[in-house]
Amino acid sequence: MSGHCDEALAQLYTYLDGELDEVAFTRIRAHIEECHPCGGAYAFEERLRVVVRQRLQEEVPEEVVARLRAVVARLCR
Amino acid sequence: MADRANFEQDVVEYLPQLYSAAVRMTRNPADAEDLVQETLFKAYRAYDTFQEGTNLRAWLYRILTNTYINEYRKQSRRPTETDLEEVQDLYLYRRLGSEQADDLARSAEDVLLDGLVDSDIKEAVDSLPENFRLPVLLADLGGFSYKEIAEILGIPIGTVMSRLHRGRKALQKALWDYAERRGLLPEEAKTQERS
Repeated sequence: MSGHCDEALAQLYTYLDGELDEVAFTRIRAHIEECHPCGGAYAFEERLRVVVRQRLQEEVPEEVVARLRAVVARLCR
Repeated sequence: MADRANFEQDVVEYLPQLYSAAVRMTRNPADAEDLVQETLFKAYRAYDTFQEGTNLRAWLYRILTNTYINEYRKQSRRPTETDLEEVQDLYLYRRLGSEQADDLARSAEDVLLDGLVDSDIKEAVDSLPENFRLPVLLADLGGFSYKEIAEILGIPIGTVMSRLHRGRKALQKALWDYAERRGLLPEEAKTQERS
């Protein structure tokens, strides 16, 4: 564990959320490309996040959207 | 200021995702539809206060979220003083033994990520205390930025970050429990757990 590893771990979510400033982003990206353990951790967290996002999606039935569109249309009449 | 005459054409594209978010918040399709309808009434009435050219999606989610918090959140889900236990960073990754970076660990990751079903992930998110659940839903399902979430929930950005990060770690711990029930864990990790 180097100081870079500590920083990479501390900033993991901020990095994956795209909320880091350019300088810190570039520094951490360079680190995870060369540091195997940090790179592995980032890759896993990124995969997990995609899985969570996909599985949280709800099926939206056509008829529900149609009813909601009708509500909006009535409001605007 | 936005013109009510444009309300219909402006908001129609957001209806499916508002409904999807409402189902996750209320965990009930009937309540979700009522919640979105009420959101639309409120949004229409307030549309002349919406600053045109600003973020309409975030504005609609703010109304949705506030309506949910004020009117739909069940008594039992009100935020309590009880807090989330602290979960270590990289909880799943470390427990899977992935730090060893070998093929075995890679395949353990695959088994876990592929083996969890939709309901596991939804129930794991549902199990989070409300203060942590809403930021996680807004970020990980809604894709909003920290600043947008802060505005939607009316809390400081620092609070958004800390709740989001702690909520996600707690989510990992909950997912571990689901993975265990489904028999998705590597033998070695299970042994560690027993000892």
